[in-house]
Amino acid sequence: MITPKALPRRTFLRGLGAAIALPVLDAMAPAFASQLPGKAPVRMGFVYVPNGMDIRNWTLDYEGKLQGLSRIMAPLEPFKEDMIVFGNLTHNNGRALLDGAGDHGRCCGSYLTGVQPKKTAVDIHCGISCDQIVANQIGNQTRFPSLELGMEDGRQAGDCDSGYSCAYTNNLAWRSETQALPPILDPRALFERLFGVDAGLTPEQKSRRNKFRRSILDFVTDDTKKLEGNLGPTDKRKLDEYLSSIREIERQLERAEKDNAQIDPHMAKPYGIPADFAEHFKLMTDMLTVAMQADLSRVFTFLVTREGTSRSYRELGIPDGHHPLTHHRNEPALMEKVSQINTYHVKQFAGWVEKLKSIKEGNSSLLDNSMIVYGAGLTDGNRHNHEDLPTVMVGKGGNYFKTGRRVVVRRETPMSNLFLSMMDRMGVHAEHFGDSTGPVNGLNLG
Amino acid sequence: MQFPQGKPPVGIIFDSAMGSRIDDVLAMALMYGLDGKNEARVVSVSSSRSNVSSAAMCEAIGRFYAGAASGDFGFVGRLLPVGLAADGRIGDETPMVTVPLAKKTEDGKPVYNHGIHSLMDTAETPALLRNAFTSQYDQNCIVVLAGPATNLVRVLGLPDAKDWITRKVRMLVVVAGDFAGGPAEFNVKADIASMQKLFAEWPTQIVVAGAELGAWLKYPASSIETDFAYAKDHPVVDAYRAFRAMPYDAAAPGVAAVLAAIRPKENYFKMSPSGVVKVLADGRTEFAPSATGKHQYLVTDPEQKEKVLKVMVEVVSAKPVPKAPRFRRPVDKKAVDPAKAVVPDTAPKP
Repeated sequence: MITPKALPRRTFLRGLGAAIALPVLDAMAPAFASQLPGKAPVRMGFVYVPNGMDIRNWTLDYEGKLQGLSRIMAPLEPFKEDMIVFGNLTHNNGRALLDGAGDHGRCCGSYLTGVQPKKTAVDIHCGISCDQIVANQIGNQTRFPSLELGMEDGRQAGDCDSGYSCAYTNNLAWRSETQALPPILDPRALFERLFGVDAGLTPEQKSRRNKFRRSILDFVTDDTKKLEGNLGPTDKRKLDEYLSSIREIERQLERAEKDNAQIDPHMAKPYGIPADFAEHFKLMTDMLTVAMQADLSRVFTFLVTREGTSRSYRELGIPDGHHPLTHHRNEPALMEKVSQINTYHVKQFAGWVEKLKSIKEGNSSLLDNSMIVYGAGLTDGNRHNHEDLPTVMVGKGGNYFKTGRRVVVRRETPMSNLFLSMMDRMGVHAEHFGDSTGPVNGLNLG
Repeated sequence: MQFPQGKPPVGIIFDSAMGSRIDDVLAMALMYGLDGKNEARVVSVSSSRSNVSSAAMCEAIGRFYAGAASGDFGFVGRLLPVGLAADGRIGDETPMVTVPLAKKTEDGKPVYNHGIHSLMDTAETPALLRNAFTSQYDQNCIVVLAGPATNLVRVLGLPDAKDWITRKVRMLVVVAGDFAGGPAEFNVKADIASMQKLFAEWPTQIVVAGAELGAWLKYPASSIETDFAYAKDHPVVDAYRAFRAMPYDAAAPGVAAVLAAIRPKENYFKMSPSGVVKVLADGRTEFAPSATGKHQYLVTDPEQKEKVLKVMVEVVSAKPVPKAPRFRRPVDKKAVDPAKAVVPDTAPKP
């Protein structure tokens, strides 16, 4: 029953040019009692890493309950009970299928769409990605139907892989068969998209605001005080933690901008993007966390770096480009570097998973109420194969999936089958998706 | 382009109930023999017999022909996953499969290698078959159904299946039925509903090899005794011996079907007029001539019998020939250090 005192779920703290959504507070409970406890919204996300893996150090050789993890997955060891490691999922439409070279373009274009991208650098044609199918259905329930994040700049046009458009290698989400959704790369742009309402400001106002830059929280002080007066001690603490986390993100952004000022201009780093990979990853996922927590969006994609990237990892002592390294021709020294990069990526992801798990939502956690796939569109970057793709799903999707195990499906089972199951969990009941042959059975708690 | 000199040889998609009839093993030997001659490519193998040994036998034969005799493994096309029906419709293990698979070397290792030890090592058949179709040039694919129609009918249930089957498949060859008035044949009886649906809905031409063809064309036991001596252990020989007490000549309608499909110009068999095959409720088959029908069945030709027998034995018992991949990127001999090796031209650009 909705009481007059119930705080609406869509409450915002408002100020000049700023509006901050709030996390789930106890005071909101009567307003959407049917969703509590443990009935917080389910979120669906995809984190994509490029160039496949050093698959020797990824694959587990057992099924069932998760025991020891492989070297690359080791950073996820504390979250074994919260994840499913898949075996044998395949993307047939990433394969050549008579279109010759271009596995990087195909594997990324087909990853969330389940269709074979048209081999072209001009008149691109792919499919609607599963995240967008869900966003189209439920996106009206949140401020943003979906969020698209990335960490590496790349062209949106031209040939990026043997005749395949850069649109295929540099995007994960596809709104339509011909329109990819480029990811937001700049933490500041993401921050302003999530928390700032700049539409009403004149350029002069924006300029003035930047000149006398203050915390976005300063703009909503009055609203915050008013709200605090109506909250109990638990909610006050929760609100304080939440606003502190926003302030912390601001501090990180300020630090990043300060660091960037010292960067050699040859590196051509865009303003606002941290030079440090780990810091960039953390900033992006911190903001994504807040967006999930505040129910700004329930659907997101995160293209960690673009497919086929030749980014180097000097912070690991690896000056070589990632993509050339993956064509290691079984040279142990080169394979070792690939493993290090793969593990480094998982380590960043694990840091974020830890954060998601620490955030409570009723009797569960933000992680429990999410289902986030971490994976690659190529299996082995050296062989360019598309079967048994490295795939992990973290989170229980709202106490739905039975986690803590390795699920090996039958060979050639389409990856689209897993996405069909996830779409179903989001309330989007499609008969088929991409090249699916049916949902993956046996994933839920039953 | 993968095949810069034009279309590759026709692709064969082979689905049987491996373990039911020795003809299935002989047909596989024939397919790999034709593959070795570059007359065809085996692009998919699956079984509608729901036990893991059935799939393991398919893979063991594939691996043998991939180079076991010569010690040269590595032709990717023969290490494709094997599809297996998981519905348990026919599931029992038979000696023609279990005996060869159980055969051990002197040091206790399996004579015939395979990588299938659980259902998860096999492929989901609708996806496997669909994926095989999608990788073929238009009209460059022949489907050979030597078992019940269980697997193929599941493919028909996929979205847009009839469209891409029509585009990719030149013909479907079915080893089933009896067009001499005989009783219900095994492959039909095992799943009557699926066979009915297949003949009613499959969108391309269908050529049928009935039981009467098997009675006419038999693989000679004498060949098993003598023609496979090039290998100390041979899966065809071991399966043949395990299937029934030697000596016996085995009905080979599946071999006939593959020969007719791959070498249509040789006219090994006559063809019935066009028409429609109908599967009755009790499993018997009837044929009704019709100018618009897409079905035909193979008819024996006594004048060709000696020639067919000779060709069958020659190709089935042919020694496997190691094959180089049809396309291989030239090796950059200057790049001694792999770290300095030239990155393949597939390298994505920024």
